[in-house]
Amino acid sequence: MSTAMAINVGYFVKESLVSFKRNWVMSLGAIITIYLSLLLVGVSVGSGMLLGQVVQSVEEKVSIRVFLKDGAAPEDVDALQQSLVSNEFVSNVTYTSKEAALEEFKETIVQDSPEIIDQLEGNPLPASLDVDLTDPRNVMLVVDAIKADPAFPKVADRPDDPEKSLKYGQQIVNQLFAVTRILRMVSAVFVAMLGMISLIFISNAIRLAIYARRKEIGIMRLVGASNWFIRTPFLLEGVIQSLVGALLAIATLAIAWFYVLPAAKELLPFLPIALEGGAALQVSLILIFGGIIIGLLGSGFALRRYLRV
Amino acid sequence: MISMRNVSKIYVPNKPPALDSCTVEIEQGEFVFLVGHSGSGKSTFIRLLLREILPTKGQIVVAGQDLGKMKNWKVPYLRRNIGCVFQDFKLLPNKTTYENVAFTLEVIGRSKHVVRTQVPEVLRLVGLEEKMGSYPDELSGGEQQRVSIARAFVNRPPLLLADEPTGNLDPATSLGIMSLLNRINKTGTTVLVATHDREMVDSMRKRVIALEGGKVIRDQDRGVYGYGD
Repeated sequence: MSTAMAINVGYFVKESLVSFKRNWVMSLGAIITIYLSLLLVGVSVGSGMLLGQVVQSVEEKVSIRVFLKDGAAPEDVDALQQSLVSNEFVSNVTYTSKEAALEEFKETIVQDSPEIIDQLEGNPLPASLDVDLTDPRNVMLVVDAIKADPAFPKVADRPDDPEKSLKYGQQIVNQLFAVTRILRMVSAVFVAMLGMISLIFISNAIRLAIYARRKEIGIMRLVGASNWFIRTPFLLEGVIQSLVGALLAIATLAIAWFYVLPAAKELLPFLPIALEGGAALQVSLILIFGGIIIGLLGSGFALRRYLRV
Repeated sequence: MISMRNVSKIYVPNKPPALDSCTVEIEQGEFVFLVGHSGSGKSTFIRLLLREILPTKGQIVVAGQDLGKMKNWKVPYLRRNIGCVFQDFKLLPNKTTYENVAFTLEVIGRSKHVVRTQVPEVLRLVGLEEKMGSYPDELSGGEQQRVSIARAFVNRPPLLLADEPTGNLDPATSLGIMSLLNRINKTGTTVLVATHDREMVDSMRKRVIALEGGKVIRDQDRGVYGYGD
């Protein structure tokens, strides 16, 4: 059995290669379409990962700041802090004192010109409670909870208009989510269409391969070759074509990885453009398995239609 | 070896059937001629035995297997028990004599060792041991038909079907082919030859089954072609 299997593997590979040589224009066409489709899949998966990181970094910055009036009663501040901590959408609440706020202001905003601070009379910056969220999409829920809190009006920096004592980035989050959703949908549609085109190309290449070997197939049937024996070289041919396409796509993406990504990083230093090696491996695996599936489906389709055994 | 009971085959509804209620029994080791004009149902008969087509009615048993009940995936295993020879030889032009015969064994998964011993032996049997490296277009028609007989017989099937094996050959060559088939029959293989080669049938004096309009009109041992005149 094992020797028979060994002979068969050699036979199948040989048959597939012979068929490729006989029929190389169509095979090349199939390889190129597979290559382009998988390249697009890789680009959209990779940029989806990048986009995810950008979104995440923005999300991390989405927090709610509650500005406190000078001289707010510590027990009221405490009460608000406690009720926020117990809110299920809140991950963390930190108190920033007036002094700490000034320090932070000095360090971040006016780093380059410390003389501005000297112009200030006293400390105009309010103390604040910084509220981090478990999920930035819930920002409005937490804002409403703060507004409804009985302690809030008592400690708000602007009691006349408590709304102005709150700072949060709802708009950014919503827009970002809308954009990423549209991008994901568009790339999914493109990937699906290219997948279809690759399927058609592969199955057409296999159809021609079947046609080129119809005489042999007829004799194989006559002498009792099993159905899988007849089908396997064609299935293998489809898989080899799409694997070659997948490997070309991975090679192209690797070039982009090594040359384009660092350049983009330089151009857009404020965005966290970075993917780890794990992501590259993930994309490669997606492309290889996607390629194998397209190859099997494409040749399987051709076999069902054109090779009745 | 072959048992047909009330077998009918209708290709197009409301047209006369290609085969009409045929009942035929062929024992193991027999040599049988199937004769009739073109359109009499000879080819349908052969295709039914190979289970290329299924009968519209009736039961066919070949080599102990009921073809009507056979699952599709088992058909290749049935065909390994049936050698097949055709008028147009059906050889692969890009393979040598040796490779054409070896192909049969390779595609049913026989080991290299079996291929290397069986192929030269069967080529010796058909008298082509000198032509193993020749391509089909370098061989005469008679030689090509010998190659195709070698291919049909290399797996030692218990049944050999020949559809007009001498249709493209001159009488002298045909005689050689027939005596080869006769020799194969002597090894115990059942041989069924569909033909309209009158002289051949008359000279061999074997069992003759005559078809006309899809019906068996005559079935006699040591018979003759015997149509018309």
